[in-house]
Amino acid sequence: MTTTPTSDRTILNRFGPYLVLLAVLIAVQLLVSAESFPALLDDFLKDPIDSLGAWGQVNRRTHPLFTQFFAPLTNTVDFGITTIEDILTWLPWYVIPAGLFALIARRRRFLDATVAAAVMIYPGLVGLWEPTLETLALMSFAVFASAVIGIPLGIWAAFRPRVEAALRPFLDIMQTVPAFVYFLPLLVLFGIGKTNGAIATIIYALPPVVRLTTLGIRQVPAQSVEASDMFGASASQTLFKVQIPTAMPTILAGLSQTIMMALGIVVLAALVAAGGLGGLVLQSLNQRTTGRGIAVGLAIVAVAMLLDRVGRSLADGDRTKTLSRGAKLAWAVSLIAGVLVGRWKEWDTFPTVWTTRIFDPIDTAVDWAIANWSQYTRAVNDFVVGDIVVPIRSFLIDTVAWPVLIVLATYMVWRIAGPKLAAFTAAAMATIGLIGMWDLSIDTVVQVMIGVIIAILIAVPLGIMAGRNARVEAVLGPILDGLQTIPSLVYIIPVVTLFTLGPMPGIIASVLYAIVPGVRITALGIQNVPSESVEASQTFGATRVQTMLGVRIPLAAPTIMAGINQVIMMVLAMVIIAGLVGGGALGFETVRALTRNLYGHGFEVGLSIALIAMVLDRSTQALAQRFQPPAAT
Amino acid sequence: MVLTDQWLHYLAMTSSAPSNQPALSAEHIWKVFGSKPERAVELAESGESRSDVLAATGCTIAVRDVSFAVKPGETFVVMGLSGSGKSTLIRCVARLIESTKGTVNVDGEDFTAMNANQLREVRRKKLSMVFQHFGLFSHRRVIDNACYGLEIQGVPKAERHERALEILGVVGLSGFEYHYPQQLSGGMQQRVGLARALCVDPEILFFDEPFSALDPLIRRDMQDELIRLQQTMKRTIVFITHDFAEAIKLGDRIAIMKDGAFDQVGTAAELIRNPATPYVREFTEDIPKAKVLTARDIMTSGGDSSRRVESSATVYSLVPLLLNDPTPIAVTEDGFVIGQVDRESVATLMDEA
Repeated sequence: MTTTPTSDRTILNRFGPYLVLLAVLIAVQLLVSAESFPALLDDFLKDPIDSLGAWGQVNRRTHPLFTQFFAPLTNTVDFGITTIEDILTWLPWYVIPAGLFALIARRRRFLDATVAAAVMIYPGLVGLWEPTLETLALMSFAVFASAVIGIPLGIWAAFRPRVEAALRPFLDIMQTVPAFVYFLPLLVLFGIGKTNGAIATIIYALPPVVRLTTLGIRQVPAQSVEASDMFGASASQTLFKVQIPTAMPTILAGLSQTIMMALGIVVLAALVAAGGLGGLVLQSLNQRTTGRGIAVGLAIVAVAMLLDRVGRSLADGDRTKTLSRGAKLAWAVSLIAGVLVGRWKEWDTFPTVWTTRIFDPIDTAVDWAIANWSQYTRAVNDFVVGDIVVPIRSFLIDTVAWPVLIVLATYMVWRIAGPKLAAFTAAAMATIGLIGMWDLSIDTVVQVMIGVIIAILIAVPLGIMAGRNARVEAVLGPILDGLQTIPSLVYIIPVVTLFTLGPMPGIIASVLYAIVPGVRITALGIQNVPSESVEASQTFGATRVQTMLGVRIPLAAPTIMAGINQVIMMVLAMVIIAGLVGGGALGFETVRALTRNLYGHGFEVGLSIALIAMVLDRSTQALAQRFQPPAAT
Repeated sequence: MVLTDQWLHYLAMTSSAPSNQPALSAEHIWKVFGSKPERAVELAESGESRSDVLAATGCTIAVRDVSFAVKPGETFVVMGLSGSGKSTLIRCVARLIESTKGTVNVDGEDFTAMNANQLREVRRKKLSMVFQHFGLFSHRRVIDNACYGLEIQGVPKAERHERALEILGVVGLSGFEYHYPQQLSGGMQQRVGLARALCVDPEILFFDEPFSALDPLIRRDMQDELIRLQQTMKRTIVFITHDFAEAIKLGDRIAIMKDGAFDQVGTAAELIRNPATPYVREFTEDIPKAKVLTARDIMTSGGDSSRRVESSATVYSLVPLLLNDPTPIAVTEDGFVIGQVDRESVATLMDEA
């Protein structure tokens, strides 16, 4: 940042401290090179958790903590989800899309209504009706619960800064820590089944709706609130008549994000036997049937889309756009008639039209690709894994002494984010080492780094192009939408078949998944550069390249850095999930712990992932902060 | 402008009867921002300056011992530049924020001592406010914005819509009732703000720089509109502005505010003729005095003449009369001759400028 005056300083003076540091590092390196990190606290942490988990399993049916609290809670949630599911399966199939249409059309949102009805029919057409209803029940319960918990919490936080300050670290952790991590602790409390899936989904999906509700309420213009006060409105009148309605678009944006996040976890929830479409995706992954995976993935997207439309419609309080009373009555009568006739004739399941086999041509295409390309893809795989991932990993694990790595990482974070985060980084790394997760964590971080570098190299230039050229943006738009909405484990399937199991599919999937925010946010940053600044540059006769490098990119840099932060977090989440496809490292250990009830081990893995996530998130956010121009005083 | 005669008549009938009691008064209002407000007030009362108090306590004095009284039907303007504390003052008076010290009386009742319920009652029945950035409700149509106050009072929908339609006609918004505010221009949005404030038929109207965010021409329109409405409705108005010309145009009396305190309070003519401080003089210098001062302000003692003018005629309007004919003109008020003006008295004024 600031350059020290060098007039009467010798080179030695200037670089002295660094040389000393270097000498110490070399000495440490020589002394402890071969030793691996002493996992002193491994058993210390693992044993009590293992016994806690075992205790939970043994006492599940007897201890009051379970019989009085968790069991009733589990039963309630389970009952809620099962009831929704039962109603949905009891209804004649055509009543569901028709009912959705009527619900949304009551506010004359005919386009939304048609979209919702159409996407509801799709799963039936491809023979996925029942698993879709299962997933729909689970998701609508989770989203509804998230809204019921999140919106009041967000409002409370908007009015009480202390509540917000208390919530913030929890929301941060809920958002940064990959969802995979909390299945295991929930397994102890709620056992296997839908409840675990629902609660994990709620925890993971809650932060956006809380955050954006708080933001929305805060952003209500002060004078609107004052105006309401001046008319003698009570606090609750102002809240319900002014603040919530004005904040509604922002709250809805939060709810949309919550739905997207819930959708992202629905496949993982299948790992704890939540069933539904998620289970089918995992099945397709195991059987490498890309076509079926895509068919199921699209059904998941359909569920998300219709939840989004229904949520928007429910929040639309504009009674003036409502259908006439007669039309509403007609709808109600025909829906009831539809139910009665359907039940009488037993038209409750969707008639067989097609099965997911109509997506088989995709498998044929993948087969063709394997036959024709695998010699290249395998070569790429071998190169990346054999010549990049493995050497770097073994260099960091076997060659560099662990204290050296800690000092270097701490020093870097110090330079970026200051002493507080540096201390946290050092403590986090020491903890990871002491609980015996050093090698696994290095493995994960190496995969993340490689994924991040590739993702940035693709996303930033694409984002700059998209930001400058509307046509590029228009072409990229649908591709990015698809990558963002289709569950990542779906497009991992062809990648696995092409590149074989190992770190490579994880890296590729994480790149595909993470370039979306990278491109979008970079494009946004470039587009938001004030046109006057660009014009000022042009009037000095700057070339396009000069304007780009001298004005556009520097002004967009804080935004681009925020995008890179998201890229890193998404790559991390994906590298963890890639444990399912042979990515190894912490991700695989999570799956292993989850499937074999290794509570203590799972906790250690989860803690390591959480610590890595927090260090990466905070240091890149601090980096983004440094690109921010100084604030006006 | 469409005027509903009935409505204006109604307003004129219901406006508060003149009496000696001020409709609104504020006594020794202080507002201090910071953690030690009482200490800051003590220091300031012992004569320490704003910056000394800030240095000693870390507290900012926004309003410093301000008192004023507004008569029923009077328009009282507080004029000050940004940072002078005028917006804070009006918020203290309206109790949108609580003042550190001091009392406000509404119709002789201690407004500052009221509890939350009493405060709401008074606000529902007697007060309204128009805001600089309009403070409109973007999720409500114009008509629902206008009748918000009545909705809060629990007036049934049909009744409040009827009233809102009427009032929207008065402020010239007929035909826009079912638009959303953000679909209207800035000037029209502030008409919505004005209609919303008038709809509850308040005794006292607070205006917080209502026209500052508007273009100059629209601003002039809105000022004329307010003058027109006030001629019939005769409400008690506290009007905040940073524009001295606007203050002169609208205010029966004007307070010049600086560093949280009033420098001078008086009619436009008093401020222009006798500015109390150099600061006040600075504002008056650019004002064309002949357009503000009236025959009454410059008349000398003298008898009747064949030519007569009303005492409220501006000096500017006298110039052509005296150019054509040098003989003095008699000044009358309520039919009685109260003095005279001649070429010399006008020339003296011009010389001062």
